[in-house]
Amino acid sequence: MSRASTRDARPFSLAAEPRRFLSRDDCEALAQRVIGFARGGGETLLSITSEWTGELRWARNRATVAGDRRGNVIRITRAIDGARAQVSTNQTDDETLAAAVRAAERLLRLGRTVPTDFPDPPVPHEYPATHIWSEPTYAQGADIRAAAARALVEPAERAGMLSAGYLGVMARGSALVGTNSGPAMYTPQTFAECSMTVRDPKGTGSGWAGLSSYDWGRIDAPALAARALEKCLASRNPVAIEPGRYTLIMEPQATFALARLVVGSLDRITEEEKQLGPFAAGIDPFTGLRTTKLGRKVLDARITIEHDPMDPDLGVVPFTLENGGIQPYRRATWVDHGVLTKLAYDRGYALHQRMENEGFPNSGSFRMSGGDSSMEEMIRTTRRGLLVTRFSNVVVLDWNSVLATGVTRDGLWLIENGKISRPVKNLRFTESPMFAFNAIEQLGPPERVYSPEAPAIVPAVKVRDFSFTSTVDAI
Amino acid sequence: MTIDRRDFLRHATRVAALGAIFPRSMLPRLVRVPPPAGWSVAVDPDPAALAATAVDAARGAGAAYADVRLTFRQWRGFGWPPSELEEMGMGARALVNGYWGFASTPYWTPDEAARVGREAVAQAKANALGTQRVVELGTIPRVSGGEWSSPMQVDPFALAPGEVADWMDGLRGWASELGGGLGINWTVGFVKERRTFASSEGSTWGQTFHTTSASVGVDYKERRWGLDFLGPAQGGWEIVQRAPVRDGIRRIKEAIDEDVALPEKPVEVGRYAVLFDVGAMAALLAQTIGYATELDRALGYEANAGGTSYLNDPLAMLGSYRAGAPALTVTANRGEPGALATVRWDDEGVAPESFTLVKDGVLADFQTTRESAAWLAPWYEKTGRPARSHGCASAPSALDLTMQHTPNLALQPGAGDADFDALLAGMPDGLAIRQVRPEMDQQHSSGVGLNTSNSVYEVKRGKRVAVVKGAGMLFRATDLWRNLTALAGAKSLRWLPAGQSEKGEPSQTTPYSLGVVPGVFKDITIVDIMRKA
Repeated sequence: MSRASTRDARPFSLAAEPRRFLSRDDCEALAQRVIGFARGGGETLLSITSEWTGELRWARNRATVAGDRRGNVIRITRAIDGARAQVSTNQTDDETLAAAVRAAERLLRLGRTVPTDFPDPPVPHEYPATHIWSEPTYAQGADIRAAAARALVEPAERAGMLSAGYLGVMARGSALVGTNSGPAMYTPQTFAECSMTVRDPKGTGSGWAGLSSYDWGRIDAPALAARALEKCLASRNPVAIEPGRYTLIMEPQATFALARLVVGSLDRITEEEKQLGPFAAGIDPFTGLRTTKLGRKVLDARITIEHDPMDPDLGVVPFTLENGGIQPYRRATWVDHGVLTKLAYDRGYALHQRMENEGFPNSGSFRMSGGDSSMEEMIRTTRRGLLVTRFSNVVVLDWNSVLATGVTRDGLWLIENGKISRPVKNLRFTESPMFAFNAIEQLGPPERVYSPEAPAIVPAVKVRDFSFTSTVDAI
Repeated sequence: MTIDRRDFLRHATRVAALGAIFPRSMLPRLVRVPPPAGWSVAVDPDPAALAATAVDAARGAGAAYADVRLTFRQWRGFGWPPSELEEMGMGARALVNGYWGFASTPYWTPDEAARVGREAVAQAKANALGTQRVVELGTIPRVSGGEWSSPMQVDPFALAPGEVADWMDGLRGWASELGGGLGINWTVGFVKERRTFASSEGSTWGQTFHTTSASVGVDYKERRWGLDFLGPAQGGWEIVQRAPVRDGIRRIKEAIDEDVALPEKPVEVGRYAVLFDVGAMAALLAQTIGYATELDRALGYEANAGGTSYLNDPLAMLGSYRAGAPALTVTANRGEPGALATVRWDDEGVAPESFTLVKDGVLADFQTTRESAAWLAPWYEKTGRPARSHGCASAPSALDLTMQHTPNLALQPGAGDADFDALLAGMPDGLAIRQVRPEMDQQHSSGVGLNTSNSVYEVKRGKRVAVVKGAGMLFRATDLWRNLTALAGAKSLRWLPAGQSEKGEPSQTTPYSLGVVPGVFKDITIVDIMRKA
């Protein structure tokens, strides 16, 4: 795995204008001040996230608000002799920071000492170079968003429909600095997202389209507007059908709602609860260690699920700051041609269950392999089935089987004899992705979906016997 | 915003577990420390002056209307590790040609105040190039230098922190002597928030809110039940200190003993008469009428976020739509002492009034703000009332845009004085459900009710005879409330925290409370929630 140090200067220019979020220099200087305020020895650790958001919401074909928001979270942890206390502030002035350190030290004196389970891991100095900064995205102004939104609303309004949506860009600096962790770790990143819902004014049809990326330039907003409108028009006046088992064609956004549950199960085994997830096999009676399904076939052989922080189409921060510690994300193939090959876990699990010093964090970002079936081909080869745009309000009923329930939203169509025959009313499903992804008929090419915080690339999927359990009136 | 509840609970669990391993005498001795003051405002800026600066800047830049909020929130949590959080925010909102702009910053300086005032106008103006949009704010009484504080008797921020930990350790020690392996799991958190407001109409106010939230869970015989009277609620440490916590724990132990003595049986799918206890009633009310009567949601303003509402044609439905049985009356207020959405003035400077959302089963009103109240003008005109905001404007902090959020909601109790036990005794057969977690569709029109823990009982001849495993409910919001047959009396009224009112993109949440009584419903569809088609 090739690695580049992000401590080097990056092609990143926070313009000379008043900064909208804290830069690397700001974070380093702030941390040195905080460390200087500490009294009584021990360790001081800071994690800093600082962000700016430029955004626009619209509804009923008019902008409802445009905004510029800025914020910081500066978390200071003081640890002395196994006792640990944490304070958090969004201020950067000396008075506040000194007072914050005093507050943490006061909390330490509460004496709630808990013997440290294990010493902190050595802080790695190298991280993958990830593709998450886009200068034009950071430079996007309110005027650009306003003009873009007017253009996105226009086709819907012309068709007599109602458009509502959100268009936002964000820039964030994430830093970690500590007395024991060497020089500051800092990563700047940008986010962009655009999504919209077009509804028939009578409320009989609804269409949605959306996309997110670190780079606004990679979002074709007019195409999204056209798609949401088209879906709205085609979904009007749906008829009710019986719940039951259907062959189901999921557009990538729908596949994503299920695939993320599989990916979310990868570190379930580290939980302290009974529900260790679908990849736990039991407890070894002799060692007391948790056994897993690693090496076993868990999904259809056509499915590979990977995580690569350097994937230019995914774009994630190269490390996690969870629980005040820092760990780099690493490349992983979680599922290789259907076989479970890697699990994610925290450091406690690594030490106690795997005799390793470091955890293996899961960023939630992933790429799922696909196939070469086009949407048209999937429809043409379906005698009777359903086509769904996306799922909404998905909740897991049982983590061990990943049985989940949720509803279809923004376009559900009946397919009969290889053709879309009519829009149908939404349905509630009760199904597990572990079942659905073992009943795959066809796969489309993987594509980026709307998933602002943890980017994902997934294909359209056609599955057999997908379980719908009740009808839903909502449109 | 930074310390999520799950972390908080997880840390708390760890502390509790250690308490169980080490006898109390081995726990470190607590040192009394002097109470800290808020530490973020060491320089003591004047929020009223900053608000005025921002309002002036917005007016100067061309705002037809502007309002500015400053919030200073302090949070203190007792768990592992112990933690404190302070967050400052200043946010300006400006209206230009019917378009809103918003800007916020964490920094309380005169320069930043002027910047956010101007920036809010710049944001609004970018959109004002489009087709004219009409916003009618109406006129509201001016609040001049208003000052209010939520009632609080024992200031948690003036307590020696050791006092809270001592209190909880004492409780755990006492509980361990109850025997049977009973254990206690606890977390405590306090919030103190100061809000300052100024508008271009000359209204100014300052309000201070105190919130206490304690969670005491009883682990006993493989069940974990929690006390439900320790908040979150507005108030200070007295909420915990004066609550009958030990009685509550004893009652839970007895209830679990009774519970485990009952036989268990698998769910039989069908239609049942169901008696819901207060926890289930609060969840059902919040997820149905609570969401559906948000006017912006009903009119499609949240279509791209959480969704719309089954009450989707407000002007046609008001005064005629049967939202429930005649026994159903739901009122809303932001004045209930201790309730989480209670304020003297809302985040637009409106003094909220109590209002009725559903009257004798018929839809009577919606939750509104200054802007949205005007959307119902024809209805108010018809009923001879002014189109005036109900004061539902709110935001998590000044860093976030003001939106319409759910006020406190109250279910009007039944006429008699029946309580849960009396309603149970009056049931020939059916089910009794303590807790339910409703999961809804995007219009909150239908949902499934998930059974959380062991909380569904079979009832025969007025008595609980079995614990029903795996039962869930399938319901349509309107049918559910139309099937309401009886409500407990006013003596059974309980105010419970509702969870959160969730809105917007990106999503923001504000808390509110629900006043509820147990209720009996007919023809509730009970399903095996884990069963596929």
